[in-house]
Amino acid sequence: MTPTEAPTRDAYAAPAAPPLPVKMVIAGGFGVGKTTTVGSISEIEPLTTEASITEVAAGVDDLTHTPGKTTTTVAMDFGCVTIDPTLKLYLFGTPGQERFGFMWDDLVEGAVGALVIVDTRRLDDCFAAVDYFEHRGIPFAVAVNAFDGRVEHPLDEVRWALDVSEGVPLVVFDARERGSVRDALLTVLELALSRTGG
Amino acid sequence: MPDGTPSPGEAARASAVRPFLVTSGRVADGGSGRALPVETQVVTTSGGLDALDGLSFERHDIVAACRLPQSLAELAARLRLHLNVVRVLAEDLREAGQLAVHVPDAAITHDASVLRRVIAGLRAIPDSRKVPSDSD
Repeated sequence: MTPTEAPTRDAYAAPAAPPLPVKMVIAGGFGVGKTTTVGSISEIEPLTTEASITEVAAGVDDLTHTPGKTTTTVAMDFGCVTIDPTLKLYLFGTPGQERFGFMWDDLVEGAVGALVIVDTRRLDDCFAAVDYFEHRGIPFAVAVNAFDGRVEHPLDEVRWALDVSEGVPLVVFDARERGSVRDALLTVLELALSRTGG
Repeated sequence: MPDGTPSPGEAARASAVRPFLVTSGRVADGGSGRALPVETQVVTTSGGLDALDGLSFERHDIVAACRLPQSLAELAARLRLHLNVVRVLAEDLREAGQLAVHVPDAAITHDASVLRRVIAGLRAIPDSRKVPSDSD
């Protein structure tokens, strides 16, 4: 909490312009490897911030019957990669919650794309994220985290089970491997780029 | 959002209590779609540096920390403040001319030329192995 020692004014006479922040979202179920993924490529140890999600009662479809929304504080992990002094990539892990709140809109707003991490032993955990990004029209790829280098199910079975379209890239990666995480992120970015027509 | 920035004295007392007391109960409503994006860059202005000694607690810490540009999320994490508290205080400090708040323009960040630069930058990152440290 203590601010660092004040440098001289001269050092800040011409404050550096902040970089342009480009945001990607790392989503998936609890314990699927989101923080590991961020940590494998982030230039800083993943940071955690507390944020609020506003959620409606689970299982209630008609909002008019919901007397009130609940605000819950959740932890959100993130990291970053400086591309150059004018450009910085931010990776935000979605809070590891099964339920969906407005926090996701808050977090995802402006993101160039998302990586949805899947553990094939618990496919159900990623359905909410897949649905969310499909409905929001946000470019995303599904990345199967190969725990111990193994994937329990063939990719075409995973694709069938997730019911994602052919346009959604499906890759296998290792959240602990920087190069593997890099390539999974590139898959998303290239998809986003293709959507710009570029 | 009700108006009324607390005086420095109020903020000083509030800082020891509940997080949203420092914002006079105001919250950045993430559901409205108008909250500052988490990656919004904030940087101290020369006015902020001039005012630094007169600022108290959270406001002081924010203006001091933002001598180095950073995102709202980094700021919240490093100062151990709730993200929405930082959002509200950043807006206050901007209005006071003490903080420059650079809200990213999605039309720019989504531009093909920017995406190509991010892609090129990521491709330049070498492989390496890190120790597993799953905690999410």
